[in-house]
Amino acid sequence: MMQNFRLAMAWVHTWFGLLLGFVLIVVFFFGSLSVFDREIDRWAIPETRFEPQPMPSFDEILRPAFESMQPTEESVAAMRGRVDGPMPAHFDTPIRWGAYTTHRDPVLGLFAGYQVPNAKNPDELVWGNRTIDPRSGDALPDDRLKIGSRFFYPLHYSLNLHWMDLGYWIVGLAALVMLVALVTGVIMHRKLFRELFTFRPGKSKQRSLLDLHNLTGVVALPFHFMFAFTGLVIFAGIYFPVTHTQLEPLHELHEVLDAEETGLPHERAGKPAAMASVDAMVREAQRRWAERDMAGEVGFLAVQYVDDANGYVSVYRAGTDRIALTGEGIHFKASTGEVLREDPPPSVVERVDEFLTGLHLQHFRHWMLRWLYVFGGLMGCVCLATGFLFFVEKRKRQHAKRGESGARVVDALAVTTVTGMLVATLAMLVANRLLPDHLPGRGDWEQYSFWGAWLLAMAHAFLRTAPVARARLAPAWREQCLAVAVMAVTAVLLNWVTTGDHLLRTLRDGYWPVAGVDLFMLTGAVIALLAARRLGLRRRPLPVALTDEEAAHA
Amino acid sequence: MPEALLLSLAALLCLIGMGWLALALNVHWKQVRGAASRGVFTARRLRAMAALALLSALLLCLKVDHATMASLVWVMVLAAAALAVALMLAWRPRWLAVLLARAPHR
Repeated sequence: MMQNFRLAMAWVHTWFGLLLGFVLIVVFFFGSLSVFDREIDRWAIPETRFEPQPMPSFDEILRPAFESMQPTEESVAAMRGRVDGPMPAHFDTPIRWGAYTTHRDPVLGLFAGYQVPNAKNPDELVWGNRTIDPRSGDALPDDRLKIGSRFFYPLHYSLNLHWMDLGYWIVGLAALVMLVALVTGVIMHRKLFRELFTFRPGKSKQRSLLDLHNLTGVVALPFHFMFAFTGLVIFAGIYFPVTHTQLEPLHELHEVLDAEETGLPHERAGKPAAMASVDAMVREAQRRWAERDMAGEVGFLAVQYVDDANGYVSVYRAGTDRIALTGEGIHFKASTGEVLREDPPPSVVERVDEFLTGLHLQHFRHWMLRWLYVFGGLMGCVCLATGFLFFVEKRKRQHAKRGESGARVVDALAVTTVTGMLVATLAMLVANRLLPDHLPGRGDWEQYSFWGAWLLAMAHAFLRTAPVARARLAPAWREQCLAVAVMAVTAVLLNWVTTGDHLLRTLRDGYWPVAGVDLFMLTGAVIALLAARRLGLRRRPLPVALTDEEAAHA
Repeated sequence: MPEALLLSLAALLCLIGMGWLALALNVHWKQVRGAASRGVFTARRLRAMAALALLSALLLCLKVDHATMASLVWVMVLAAAALAVALMLAWRPRWLAVLLARAPHR
């Protein structure tokens, strides 16, 4: 079968691409949405529709907020097995407080880590989270799910499948296969440059599908490659967990040496010490950045060993104008406010690492580049979808003749992962606007509506692809396109009805987070309608003209 | 010049550059100019002009942003421009004739 190299490559590309393509298209689509995760949060949580805020005063706003925090129930429950004796009802020793913000965040996410008495591993902490309004310090209701940054975004890299970290591994494998598919695809293609601009919509379905597959794959090739690769780099710690397995002693030694070199304490002193004004430290950090001609806002603020004699405060500059997330850290002794250390400029390796992770996580301010990322991600989706369709088109007549159902199953899975995924996403946004405000477990219901809608879409896809077994077009495509159009318009209308923020108002006020989400959904609705119309035209029986050019090509 | 203008100009240059690159290929030349085949000389000139346009676009990107960001912007704009040219060739090939206004009629 494998007479030559190219055929072998084609085999790898086809089968691995098909199998993990269904995962990859989910990763690409929700990755694209994650570019605007915070804007989707604004749409989904109307109370947070106000302008982005800088890091607020620690002494007045953050400290009281941190002091009223406690670890989450999940974190405490997860810790239960790793403690000798019972868990305390209240955790009194915070080890670490942190707050991270970007130029797109109106609300501020806080996290706090607490020491656990009698923990088998004393370094292990339990963690709490809170989101506050930085103008007042008031906590946001905990039940409000941040659909963009806490559901779509993690779906992109973990499929929200946390059992044994299975989701991370599946996505990691898919990214690896993506790299393989790109290389094998380039080898199969042969006329990479000569056909760079080639798309022939007028030719047969197979031909134009393959053109579109090649076009979207090749023009965005650097994007596809970089994102699959940097995605793997970001989670390298999960895929190669050497720091806490084979290299654990080295890791510990490194921590101690690091503490010696940086002068930052490695552990608590155990002696209480009151904290000096953190606001004064922040002002000093900003003064030093300005001196280096890098004036900027605070992106990340952390207190290590809270209220301890060894405590220190780290202030990092927001990487708004850089690819790197944050940088230029300055560390202060918490009890006196004296500068312990100013991070030296990053080494070449650190710079490369910052660039690779930063270009993927994109917390910078560059709206054009953000949209170009969405474009790249959607190109990936088109590439995958046309790949599935080509697979089906190439085989369905043969399978129909032989009475096999392979093409039909693949078509049903393609419907599920292409239009079905859109149906699920929109169902979640519609549910977000329809569920009562004070429903307990509201965020859970939103997630159920997402998965429930996806399951329904899948059932529909399998039921309504029967004609594929007779080498015809599946009605499921057209029906789900119509569903997408109706649901997108419904979501926009519901946003208007429940919040009063209709497009005319958000556009007039220039409130782009909500206007953008609405416009994106309306554009999607128009495209879905056009697609449904085209599919409707195709539904009428056409004289079956088998073109052999494609058969020969394949 | 405001950044938005510089970036728009960079995008336009990428579009033009990609258009010239496409026209340097015989298939697309014929799509735009009809039956007449383009000479080797023209193809070379088109490629040189394309390289110049794409390079100027990179310089404009570098003028606006930090080098790390500018390189990403440039690569992504190139991709978008290539797609736009491909779609134009698929549905409105004649539009690309604009890019040949000063090219020799041979």
